[in-house]
Amino acid sequence: MRRRRQRSEFGKNQPTVELRPRSDLRIGFLCLVFVLALGTVTLAGEPRRLTNDGRRKRTPVFVNSEELVYVDLEKPELTTLKRMKLSNLSVRSLHAKTNAQEFEPAFSPDGRFCVFLKAIGTLSVTLVIRDERENKDVLLPPGGGFCGFRNPSFSPDGKRVIYSYAENNLQDLYSVNTQAMDRRQLTRKSGMNYWPSFSPDGKRILFGSTRDGNYEIYTMNPKGQDVRRLTDSPFQDLRPRFSPDGKRIAFTSNRDGNFEVYLMEENGSSLRRVTNHPERDDYPTWHPGGKQLVIVSERDGSHDLYLVPVE
Amino acid sequence: MFDVGRFVANSCSGMTRRSFLRVGASVPLALGMSNLATVASAAENRRAKSVLFIFLWGAPSHLDMCDPKPDAPAEYRSPFAVIPTRTAGVHFTELLPQLAQRSHLYTLVRSHVTTAPGHPDAGTVALTGFEETPKPVKPNFGSIVAKHRGRRGSLPPFMSIAKGVVMDGARRIEGYGGGTLGSPYDPFMVGCSELGEAEIPALKLLDGLVPNRIQDRRILLNQLDNVPRALQSRGFEDWSRTYQTAYGLLMDPKARSAFDLTRETRKTRATYGQSVFGQSALLARRLMEAEVPYIQLNFSRHVEAITPGFEFGWDTHIYNFDLLQDLLCPIFDRAFAALLDDLNERGLLKDNLVVCMGEFGRTPKINNRASRDHWPACYFSMWAGAGIEPGRVIGQSDRLGEHPLTDPISPKMVGTTITELGGIDTQVRAEMNVLEGGRVIEGLI
Repeated sequence: MRRRRQRSEFGKNQPTVELRPRSDLRIGFLCLVFVLALGTVTLAGEPRRLTNDGRRKRTPVFVNSEELVYVDLEKPELTTLKRMKLSNLSVRSLHAKTNAQEFEPAFSPDGRFCVFLKAIGTLSVTLVIRDERENKDVLLPPGGGFCGFRNPSFSPDGKRVIYSYAENNLQDLYSVNTQAMDRRQLTRKSGMNYWPSFSPDGKRILFGSTRDGNYEIYTMNPKGQDVRRLTDSPFQDLRPRFSPDGKRIAFTSNRDGNFEVYLMEENGSSLRRVTNHPERDDYPTWHPGGKQLVIVSERDGSHDLYLVPVE
Repeated sequence: MFDVGRFVANSCSGMTRRSFLRVGASVPLALGMSNLATVASAAENRRAKSVLFIFLWGAPSHLDMCDPKPDAPAEYRSPFAVIPTRTAGVHFTELLPQLAQRSHLYTLVRSHVTTAPGHPDAGTVALTGFEETPKPVKPNFGSIVAKHRGRRGSLPPFMSIAKGVVMDGARRIEGYGGGTLGSPYDPFMVGCSELGEAEIPALKLLDGLVPNRIQDRRILLNQLDNVPRALQSRGFEDWSRTYQTAYGLLMDPKARSAFDLTRETRKTRATYGQSVFGQSALLARRLMEAEVPYIQLNFSRHVEAITPGFEFGWDTHIYNFDLLQDLLCPIFDRAFAALLDDLNERGLLKDNLVVCMGEFGRTPKINNRASRDHWPACYFSMWAGAGIEPGRVIGQSDRLGEHPLTDPISPKMVGTTITELGGIDTQVRAEMNVLEGGRVIEGLI
């Protein structure tokens, strides 16, 4: 990435950001990409490919150390949730007989609750909190008209769900209990706020926001106070996730020209790039052991899950 | 490969299924026969052998893609970074990095306006140049080209790539087809899967009948022996022109091969991406090579972005920024860039036309749901090939992207320009009674 000043179409010499064309990349970098056949530079070990169908996938999350759930674009008009066993890579539908888009799943730490989003009408998306033990759904219905929730996840004690919701021209963060009651607003700030998740000790909430003009990553305390900005890039910094020990954060950024997965310390320091490929690497999620990430990698125009070791 | 799938229509009063097929393959197609005279006079002024109209159905956001306004107030401004294109002084957002690098291959128009604020009517306006009412509905630009050119060989002169007529909810867009020119000039529909399997809805007759199983006529006829007896229970007159066309395609190896994406290298198919739009774009290129006069490539069949049973279209009243960032723009940027490269490398941009646009733009001011609604007062298009000088921007929007500062460009002007480049000049349009009062986009050609 290079910053430059050039004559702008916007009427003044304002800074713009240039994505380096491939032809400008250094030969050494190209060689590195070529040598690493899978194209993923890991900090330790080699990546393991988990799926082979190439369909578009999103939002993998671990249910436990042996199983993960992800969103699969099963048909052009249908996203479903798939559950995979890491031991044999077997995959089954998480919910049978679904004919509406389901996406953005998350699980309570004890695995009792699953929260996900479900399209229920024209541009209308509800939040579903499913109690697997009681086999019972609690729905948080969207507002009227075109409306929907985003990015739900659980508190470490499994008692609350935090999520993103847009109303009154803002997209703020909220939480409810597992009965979808007792709504609390966590942010009151301009811009759009996304991807809230608790640190493992429950003391911080990690999230993304456009409050400063573009997509950056922040933390705050559970009351929505003491906001700290962790990233500062003119491009997109997306989908942050705390490591299981809470010391590191994985996220996606296109700051180097295309979408790659990065790591940083909990305070935003020690930035490191995990992947390096001309196609997209995205949706990092931590294995509960804390030494591997599952990511969605685009390779040759197809999208599959990879398990990437990181030390 | 292409999959003819399951077929529910019936046939043959006193005619065997085999003989029907023979008829189907040999019937002089009325569409072509009626236009031979016109065809003969068409070629002289034509700069585009084929027109590829890429319809971004649902309406993409101009501010978040090709017409960013980084100096606008926060309630308008896109959260996406601005990047330079290859055209000096012209910028896109970071959502279209590959198209930004290929701005030397097309000309961008930033001053479109339309008259209709809703999808069904605006869809008709975008495809015909006129509103749905007063009736009758005017013809699709493709139908005009189809009537003028007529048919040569087995391939229809107007093909639309989607799994059916484009829809808004349960309502199909009235301007999808022949309109006042009549149903003979409706598009011939062909679908395409994310794996590049072409599907002809009109031929949903034979389970599992795919090209590698119909390499010769005997195999096809054997397949027909398995067609349910119901095929003979209804009159032959029920067979529509569509089915005759479809079977004509089946019986013509050259025409059939146009649908067979397995003839492309794995690398080429990968470059377009494993998506319905990506592989459909590759199919469109093959149809262009086969000199189909007009191809309408629909990004999706439905406008709705997240709705049960519908594909993900560009109608982003909610999740606008998320869908653009994570789904719509990555698919579009990759596939359209691949298509432009492919057409350029094969020399197909020289004498074919590519037009890419939606039916309107999206509200410059961010809405109540932190997204963008319909905005008919300003939107964009991209034009490549057919002698259009590339690497330019025509038209300019105001500082918020709300209105054109320059001459507003209407859908009728789009249709007039397309048909002009297709060899249908003012006199011919008048004789056909189409695009009345239309004028070409000044500066584009």
